Amino acid sequence: MLERILEFSRMLRQNGVRVSVSENMDAVRALELLGIADRTLFKSALRASLVKRSIDVEPFNRLFDLYFLGQGQSPRATEQELMAELGLTPEQFEKMLEQIREFLRRMDGEVSPLTRALLAGELAQVERMMFEAAEGELGEMTQWARGTGFIDQIAARFMLASIREEIEKFKMALARAGAEPRIPWISEKISEYAEQRLRELMRLAQRLLQREMQKKEAAVPGRRRSDDLSQKSFAYYTEEDIRRMSEVVTRLARRFKNLLSLRRRRARRGRLAVSATFRKNLQYGGVPFRIQLERRRKEKPQVVVLCDISDSVLNASRFMLQFVYSIQDLYTKVRSFVFVSDIGEVTRLFEEHELRQAVEMALRGDVIDVYSHSNFGRAFELFHRNYISAVTGKTTFVIIGDGRNNYNRANEWVVREIRQKAKQLIWLNPESRLTWGYGDSEMPRYAQYCDLVEECRNIEQLYKVIDRIAA
Amino acid sequence: MFQSVDEVINRLAGENYICNREVATVVYLAAAMRKPILVEGPAGVGKTELGKVLSTALKLELIRLQCYEGLDEAKALYEWEYAKQLLYTQILKDKIGEILKGAQSLQAAVDSISQQDDVFFSDRFLLARPLLRAILAPQPTVLLIDEVDKSDTEFEAFLLEVLSDFQVSVPELGTLKAKHLPLVVLTSNNSREMSDALKRRCLHLYLDFPDPKRELEIIRLKVPEADANLSAEVVQLLHRLRKLDLKKRPSISEALDWIKALTLLNIKNLDDRLVAETMSTLMKYEADIRKAQEELAEYLRVRKAKDQSGAAESDKDLLH
Repeated sequence: MLERILEFSRMLRQNGVRVSVSENMDAVRALELLGIADRTLFKSALRASLVKRSIDVEPFNRLFDLYFLGQGQSPRATEQELMAELGLTPEQFEKMLEQIREFLRRMDGEVSPLTRALLAGELAQVERMMFEAAEGELGEMTQWARGTGFIDQIAARFMLASIREEIEKFKMALARAGAEPRIPWISEKISEYAEQRLRELMRLAQRLLQREMQKKEAAVPGRRRSDDLSQKSFAYYTEEDIRRMSEVVTRLARRFKNLLSLRRRRARRGRLAVSATFRKNLQYGGVPFRIQLERRRKEKPQVVVLCDISDSVLNASRFMLQFVYSIQDLYTKVRSFVFVSDIGEVTRLFEEHELRQAVEMALRGDVIDVYSHSNFGRAFELFHRNYISAVTGKTTFVIIGDGRNNYNRANEWVVREIRQKAKQLIWLNPESRLTWGYGDSEMPRYAQYCDLVEECRNIEQLYKVIDRIAA
Repeated sequence: MFQSVDEVINRLAGENYICNREVATVVYLAAAMRKPILVEGPAGVGKTELGKVLSTALKLELIRLQCYEGLDEAKALYEWEYAKQLLYTQILKDKIGEILKGAQSLQAAVDSISQQDDVFFSDRFLLARPLLRAILAPQPTVLLIDEVDKSDTEFEAFLLEVLSDFQVSVPELGTLKAKHLPLVVLTSNNSREMSDALKRRCLHLYLDFPDPKRELEIIRLKVPEADANLSAEVVQLLHRLRKLDLKKRPSISEALDWIKALTLLNIKNLDDRLVAETMSTLMKYEADIRKAQEELAEYLRVRKAKDQSGAAESDKDLLH
């Protein structure tokens, strides 16, 4: 058992679940306490000791089924099927089994244990035997068994031919003995039964082989999906990725908030204020009973976000809008704008609708025309004309966009003025840094006025940006 | 503490806490292996309740540490009672004067006063906070560390040290070691990912919303006066609601509140006009309430259709 647990946790590791040695030890200890008879107990014991992150639960369940299930879970179902197929009632079936067992006893030594178990209907045992047989040999086999003659291969491997022979022998012996004349249906049913059992064995072998192969496939070190997501460029996101993104985004936004509040809290806890302490403690005769700390002004961060939603950065802006939405959810003073060539405020939209809907509405063109060519210069100028009052000395100003201006006027003076008014100005660019300044990209022109310009093409980079903003 | 998994289920049920085998397994293992349990899951599924119930079921004292941003060692472990120490020095001024009387030099005065400093740094002036109380307790205890995800990473690191060997060193007193290992339950709402190191030391339990059957059991237990038919319907509706894309999914405790409200208003059926109006006890956001009301209407429509077809069939049966 120990080996199987270790192999299982090796498999978990290969699939990106972090399992430490001590956790392995816990699992083994847990199983010592609980035993392994009860499947649900077994599974929850492993789960509690090996899997600690909620994103690991799904791979765990999948691998657990792959690795531990399939043994002994099917006999009941197939027994009922068999009964139905043979058209027997449970009592009749039981009677027939009795007959067969009786007969097998008489044939002692002529049939192999596998055949015996198969005919006697002890499927769990059959499975165990086959499993043991498979354990060692299947390893090399799986590589070449995929092509033609799949079933033949299995047959050969499990010596099905000899089992068939033995069953034939059994049937003949049965015919010679004439079974029990008193129950005429039995002899004809028995041969049918034996056929069915043989087919079942085949199925079983097939399943076993498949499982074994899946296991091998699962063991191929594949890159973890969420890690994938974090390094994948926004531009290449699939539908599935986009769906999963929202959860990552909320976490990111929360992290953003945590970091900011951490800084605020540290600031609040100032140093010892000597004079205030003296003054306060005069009432205690100058003995410093109550210590006064310096108080600092609490600062509520204000954020203004400008997000480019033109076609060229569509996936990135979808992601960024989700991020903006989450930030707006967490802070009271956030104003969000989207632009292509026009600029429009989406603060209200985000307040009134829930995430997915709001983002869709913004991207669909409910606020501004999204089918025009992006024109940063014009959008900036419009911002300056209509919304510049939103920028104060406390504002953290974030611009998200690729800076591709279609050779229009750049109007970088707006950026300069925002920089002068705002506390800090951050530009996040979903394009690779290497391409900045080439073609119609006006990045260098804008970048000179920004406090921080970061390439932000995937989640990992966004993480870093957040750390830098908050630090 | 517990002999078997089934005993856990029974004893927790005895305290009106219904749990499935998976939960019971983890609890049993934690008690037997002396490992902390880290409970995660959505809000309102009974994470904190699990800790409380464990203490009553095992008849052990419950020591609770509520975590929050900025919680530090002084609030969690121990603190010297500064004010009390000062007060004593003021009251004992004369006595201190006496001790210092014989001293010829400043050096001698400091020496003689330092011989006395044990008096001021003793248990008497030590204010034990939850963690230290759990360590010093003469009997085993249940230590509930609530919402550990709200604490800072520094505190988490500190917690790690305490949880791994249950001893702390107080510089003035030396090392204090736990006489009995407490049964530790940590709860987390997953507002931030806990460190791997902490997770490694714990058994992990993910509490999710219960399946309809279990939830019905819970409702029967907690609100016995509720109409049986109504509870069954509510559970079905809840199950559907939780599948919606909501800002906050209705928790068990909110569901219980709602049932109580419905029962108070003497409502026997979800058809009632008042049902939609009382939804504010179940949902906490405007948009959520609206969605829930739509879902309720849909649910009623489907049920009605089913009833009608059922009625039609029974009519047919009568005809035959």
